[in-house]
Amino acid sequence: MDAEDSVSAPAEAPAIEATELHRGRSRMLLVSVLVVATCGLVYELISATMASYLLGDSVTQWSLVIGVYLSAMGLGSWLSKSIERHETERFVQIQLVIALVGGFSATMLFLGFAHLASVRPLLFSILVVVGTAVGLEIPLMMRIMRGYALKDLVARVLAFDYLGSLAASLLFPLLLLPYLGLVRTALAFGLLNAAVAGWSAAHFTPDLRRPGWIKAQVGLVAAMLGAGFVFGTEIEDFGESQLYDFPVIFSQRTPYQRLTITRWQNDIRLFINGNLQFSSTDEHRYHEALVHPVLAASVQARPEVVEGRRVLVLGGGDGLALREILAHDDVGRIDLVDLDPAMTELFSSHPMLVSLNGGAFEDPRVHVHNADAMEWLLQHRRDDGDKFDVAIVDLPDPNNFSLGKLYSNSFYRLLGTQLRDDGVGVVQSTSPYLAPRSFWCIVATLEAADLNPRPYHAHVPSFGDWGFVLIAKTPRHPPLHLVPGPTRRFLSDELMSTLFVFPADQARPDDVEVNRLNDQMLVRYYEQDLAAPLGAAGRGG
Amino acid sequence: MDLSRRRVLGAMATGAATSACRTSPRPVTSRFVGQLAERGHRLRDGGIPPASAPTPMTASVVIVGGGAAGLSAAWRLRRAGLRDVVLLEMEPAVGGTARGGELPRSRYPMGAHYLPAPHPSFRGLRTLLGDLGVIVGPTDRPEPDYELSYVCRGPVERHRYKGRWDPGLYPTLGESDEEQAQWLRWRDHLRELDGRRGADGRRLFDLPVLGSSTELRQLDRISMATYLDQLGLDSWRLRWTVDYACRDDYGATLAQTSAFAGLHHFLSRGLEDEVDRFILTWPQGNGWLTEQLSERAELGDRLRRDTVAYAIDPDTGVVEAWDAAAGEHLRISAHTVLWSAPRFVLPRVLPRGRDRLPAGALTYSPWLVASVEVDEVPAGIGTDLAWDNVPVGADNLGYVVATHSQSLVDAHVPGTVLTYYEPLLGDDVVAERTRLLSGSLSQWTDHVLTQLDGMHPGIGRTVRAVDIARWGHAMVRPVVGHLFGEGLRQARAEVGRVIPCAADVGGLPLFEEAFAAGVRAAERALAQLGRSEATIL
Repeated sequence: MDAEDSVSAPAEAPAIEATELHRGRSRMLLVSVLVVATCGLVYELISATMASYLLGDSVTQWSLVIGVYLSAMGLGSWLSKSIERHETERFVQIQLVIALVGGFSATMLFLGFAHLASVRPLLFSILVVVGTAVGLEIPLMMRIMRGYALKDLVARVLAFDYLGSLAASLLFPLLLLPYLGLVRTALAFGLLNAAVAGWSAAHFTPDLRRPGWIKAQVGLVAAMLGAGFVFGTEIEDFGESQLYDFPVIFSQRTPYQRLTITRWQNDIRLFINGNLQFSSTDEHRYHEALVHPVLAASVQARPEVVEGRRVLVLGGGDGLALREILAHDDVGRIDLVDLDPAMTELFSSHPMLVSLNGGAFEDPRVHVHNADAMEWLLQHRRDDGDKFDVAIVDLPDPNNFSLGKLYSNSFYRLLGTQLRDDGVGVVQSTSPYLAPRSFWCIVATLEAADLNPRPYHAHVPSFGDWGFVLIAKTPRHPPLHLVPGPTRRFLSDELMSTLFVFPADQARPDDVEVNRLNDQMLVRYYEQDLAAPLGAAGRGG
Repeated sequence: MDLSRRRVLGAMATGAATSACRTSPRPVTSRFVGQLAERGHRLRDGGIPPASAPTPMTASVVIVGGGAAGLSAAWRLRRAGLRDVVLLEMEPAVGGTARGGELPRSRYPMGAHYLPAPHPSFRGLRTLLGDLGVIVGPTDRPEPDYELSYVCRGPVERHRYKGRWDPGLYPTLGESDEEQAQWLRWRDHLRELDGRRGADGRRLFDLPVLGSSTELRQLDRISMATYLDQLGLDSWRLRWTVDYACRDDYGATLAQTSAFAGLHHFLSRGLEDEVDRFILTWPQGNGWLTEQLSERAELGDRLRRDTVAYAIDPDTGVVEAWDAAAGEHLRISAHTVLWSAPRFVLPRVLPRGRDRLPAGALTYSPWLVASVEVDEVPAGIGTDLAWDNVPVGADNLGYVVATHSQSLVDAHVPGTVLTYYEPLLGDDVVAERTRLLSGSLSQWTDHVLTQLDGMHPGIGRTVRAVDIARWGHAMVRPVVGHLFGEGLRQARAEVGRVIPCAADVGGLPLFEEAFAAGVRAAERALAQLGRSEATIL
């Protein structure tokens, strides 16, 4: 397809004299045609794939990319007439341009997406440069091979050109994309282009004006591409890290998730799989709102306990909720269940993070269990373990089916069995403003599990309006007074009564269903909520 | 900003990381697993070595066949305190068609793989589940607490139509108004029948099936296809969905299945409405149930594996058997013999002429069940991977995922085992059985991988191993007239001291039927031994 546009008769009439083109060399030239054609189409496919990933609307993106690319090739073919001399040298240099721009095309697009206001100009610039250069190549190649009779030349070059396109279109979806990924596929083909350039420079040394300089260029380009290839994964990671607003100071891939910490002046942020978990500027609002009302409720339910109150925390591996709980002297033991040991280790060892949670993991009252919360509760029930006064459920938002089970009525019923009859709890339940159906689905599910839910919300600037649900084994009024003692920066008795009030535009919708273990409606609600115009990133895990 | 784009970038970064350390695809190892057809064929072809000095034994009850029915009977007898029981199993392992197999990544089902949470009226099964710890706490509440590790988590089902996966089993993509109206009419029709009882006070569609009210039994005389015709339901989508249900439960097409059996599938456990209609499943499928039953039956060395019962005298209760592993002959004098092996085998062990059941009175569907270990969990365009993944318009039933409900702790372990199901649907079951058993290992392996490739192009390069189970007589097929006809009645009839009690004489090929038939036969044996007990059913 691409060669059609790149056909242009050799600028000079082929020399008909029986020039002895070395047979091996002519074969290699044809292989170069094959490689060049394959590379050309691969870059086109990479650009189109990236465009549809990054910009959406794949039909439009594919169509535009193909159109722009083919017309740029036309332009290149047309421009080839203006190259009068030094065809071999030009051929090698054009190869190098293709190698560099094409090879780094995916890398540039990744970084561009993170950095630029619009990635389109970059995309089309890459397409025009690569397309034009590829368009220049075939005519030049034909001129270099002018020893052939015209009909043989056209037949062979075009045949290999088309064959190259077929190779590319088969290789790309079946092998390259799945095995190498976009960044490395582009770099690998850049290296192929550089190899063709290097081979041409080596075999046509007499045709080059400054062979040493050209060969140095080839070496440089190959080295850059090689380095890119070796560090391809880091480039993709880096590309992702550029998606964060602030400098990334820590990044770790654990078997379960990707933990990223950014810092800008005094603002430390934790992201799990790219979703914000807290910002140190306002996390106190979130954690005070999560912890203090439920502990007040527990004191209301069992005022006689002055020490030995038992608290269960599900999730919360950052230890920030622990910090708030530990400020209550009547708490005797806290069991914290978080799936990822890397998370709890990080927050019990990194000095900056330890200072955030006040060294919560050092406190002898804290017992950490790295387990699946549901499995842990089942085991606790089987072991007939002590029931809890307070359960604090601080899990990532239900953005996938493995998390959705931890928001199901069956799970809540199981949780209920591990609470004392006068036990209470709280569930972080996404944003009632940004994800209203998800929020009210959690409330409905807690209702179905007979946990007497009392929804409330608080404003956490980095998240927006955030929702929580107070639960209790036996129905009770929400507490009006906080427990005296702990210092608080956000909550006060005056504020408490307002938390449980929802304005009219956040009223409970009447058509949300219960999140059952076997259908997990909540995961679909959450997807729909986020896809809606208001949608924004939640605390997804 | 745009969350989905970030997700894509994240996913691509992760993809690059994993692809970097992947090596070239390993060769696929495949093998046949499960039933040793040649052992059963010895009964047919006279391949049992002549008896010399058989070991004499006595037992109150001999159970022949260690599948779901035989093990349920053993469990019931143990519950009654009877220890004088011998169970003969022809295969090296118990479980029958509910057996589980194992590949490195996970255990998997060789056949039957799930049990829907029983209707409150099925007290006996609730009792069993309580005993096995599947129900936690009281078993008689309308919605008891199930051990959540055994509950199939959502998404339970998805289907693939026009290259796209969507939730549930009814294909809605491109549905016309008329098709939608028909679907709603069908749902309304089912809702009307749901929970109704006949004039005799029984549920219209009950489990076990023979306990159903007599009111609609005439529906057994027409096919499910005819029934839908009579309702004027000709939407291909609706008919595909119902046909799928028949193939999945009974190994029979819409045209082959009795309308009573077809409706029974939808109504016997109650429609999915306000209650949690759980599916109970385990990585090894119902193999978990048979393993637990076997453990609780506490048979010890009175469970004889690799042992073929080849002659039974229904008048004296003498069972002659051959232990193929030890090369030993047994001669067991029993008070009662429970025949929990497939009913069609019984005439081969009884004296000639003692079995009045005409040959071919029961039809059995052959099945191919293949478990495929893959390096990567398959995804596909559209909705997320479900437990049960079904292609619309294919002959096969798709696959279930062994690790679907695994702990989050194991979620990062790559790969899984997919179990692929395909009933052989031809009307000529003998020809289908021959096709199943004569196909070579490589032919069936290629077939399974080709079918999976149709659902997930390129999946072949992630496949590590394929275990293929061939079941010549996987299940009794509830064809038109089967349930309330003369054949099944005769098949259930006792022959002297022999009580037939496998799932195939229960009526429908379901764990529930096998359980009920086994328990009923065990209770009958107890009565014959003078130890009558109130039924738990």
